[in-house]
Amino acid sequence: MDSTHTIEARALGRTFKGGVEAVRGIDLSVAGGEVFGFLGPNGAGKTTTVRMLCTLLPPTAGGASVAGVDVVADPAEVRRRIGVALQEIGLDPVQTGRELLELQCGLYGITGNDARARTSELLELLGLSDAADRRTKTYSGGMKRRLDLASALVHSPDVLFLDEPTTGLDPASRLTVWEEVRRIKGAGTTIFLTTQYLEEADQLCDRLAIIDAGRIVAEGTPERLKGEMGHDVVRLTLDGADARATEAAVGELPGLERVVTESDALALYLDDGAGSIAEIVRRLDRESIRVGAIAVSRPSLDDVFLQATGRRLEGAEDRQAEEAA
Amino acid sequence: MTEVLLLGRRAVREIARYPEATIPALFIPLFFLAVNIGQVSETFPDTTPFLGGQGYVAFQLPVSLMFAVATASSGLALVTEIDQGYFDKLLAAPIRRSSIIFGRLAADLVRGVLGSTVVLLAGLALGAHMESGILGAVVLVVLSALFGVGYAGFGILVALRTRNVQATNTSFLLFFPLLFLTPNFVPFDRLTPLMEALARANPVSYVIVGLRSLVIDGWDLGKLAACTGVIVALCAVLTALSLRAIATYDR
Repeated sequence: MDSTHTIEARALGRTFKGGVEAVRGIDLSVAGGEVFGFLGPNGAGKTTTVRMLCTLLPPTAGGASVAGVDVVADPAEVRRRIGVALQEIGLDPVQTGRELLELQCGLYGITGNDARARTSELLELLGLSDAADRRTKTYSGGMKRRLDLASALVHSPDVLFLDEPTTGLDPASRLTVWEEVRRIKGAGTTIFLTTQYLEEADQLCDRLAIIDAGRIVAEGTPERLKGEMGHDVVRLTLDGADARATEAAVGELPGLERVVTESDALALYLDDGAGSIAEIVRRLDRESIRVGAIAVSRPSLDDVFLQATGRRLEGAEDRQAEEAA
Repeated sequence: MTEVLLLGRRAVREIARYPEATIPALFIPLFFLAVNIGQVSETFPDTTPFLGGQGYVAFQLPVSLMFAVATASSGLALVTEIDQGYFDKLLAAPIRRSSIIFGRLAADLVRGVLGSTVVLLAGLALGAHMESGILGAVVLVVLSALFGVGYAGFGILVALRTRNVQATNTSFLLFFPLLFLTPNFVPFDRLTPLMEALARANPVSYVIVGLRSLVIDGWDLGKLAACTGVIVALCAVLTALSLRAIATYDR
């Protein structure tokens, strides 16, 4: 396997007992020093992929190497070279922040004064010095996430895996984590970051892959992925109007690159959104179609996601919660 | 070895910081000791042949010691760790998975020594005396603690296999039939034939008999050898099964 890339995966797959295919043969190449985003909804296969790359779960198909080391052939060496902050914040509530980091140092062979110095350095860096001698169960969500991040950094890893590092955090804490991710990247560390937040992927990632139902459905830089969608998006909220008739009415619009149907809207990807509004209105009027609203915007990663999967990622959490209720 | 020491120290710290988990576990054996003595000391006065001139407290003390050390604490701590994600953090570190188990068992040894010392002191305060002397008391505490280490392996095994707090917690209930199908209240020859057969087939009986011999008989090497053999076998089998369970965890 090619070791010039820090993370390489070829046809990587994982099928669980009972036949559930969580990851269905994905290919990945992440260059050194890159922040690579793995974007997808809950259950898409993000965490399973991370667990395979971190050697916590063996693949059932294909293979992968991290930092040039095969994850199946030499998992111990992979673990020495990576830092891991998983979705479930891995903190021991009985220990203080300082004790937890010193123990973590010890597990990576850093002991004595070196461990104490590294712990103090990380606590200072992540703004946890004041809380260092409190038990972690008293920490806020943001503090726990920062401490978890610190514990993944004790040994200055080559590659850092962050599995949904800001899920459940308030906006201020999310920004703090983002700043920290940028700082870590600045130090040359390769970061593999999973997220279900489009803005996070857009803000932090040099490149990203969109995963859905265990398959990578799009990959590239955020700019390129958005650029491929066209210049502008005109969203017609149907509000009861017939989707097929509406699509037929606007189908031959000049500069129209693609039309994507949503549950109660049509997204028109156009060269010139604002300049096309008048023509869209004329055509709808001619066919006596009344739509709820017309809005123009630039393509977002959500549009990329929609194009790739046929549904939106933004608001998926809310919809899931509503369905559960 | 460093990993085991680090993880063991953390687990011991846990014991110190959660006294509410340890103190109730000590209350039960002390309660049974006091109640059992109170109920049958008139029936079995110190002239009873199998008491060797001591009060019934001497006969009951080993049973209470086993109650004190047989806990599912390590299993519960482990399953909580699995639930909270810290276990994954440990698995992702470049350490041998076995050190997670040995770290827990090291803490069980400390917990067992502390718990059995408290119960032994209570027994001595209630009138028991060690026929085997101070060295015998040390051996009694160490063997009890090692029995606790062996038993802890069962809770750890259930925790790793089920990843379920309730299942791990109820694993403790398995100990009750094993403890009561023994000569815990009277010697083998005072049991009904069926109960005697069951008790003689139960390895835990030989642990009780061996520990009891240190209190009542002095140094009975045959009984001590059987007791030690059962404890070593228990430790070996359950630790081996726990090590296998952690080696194959998510594999």
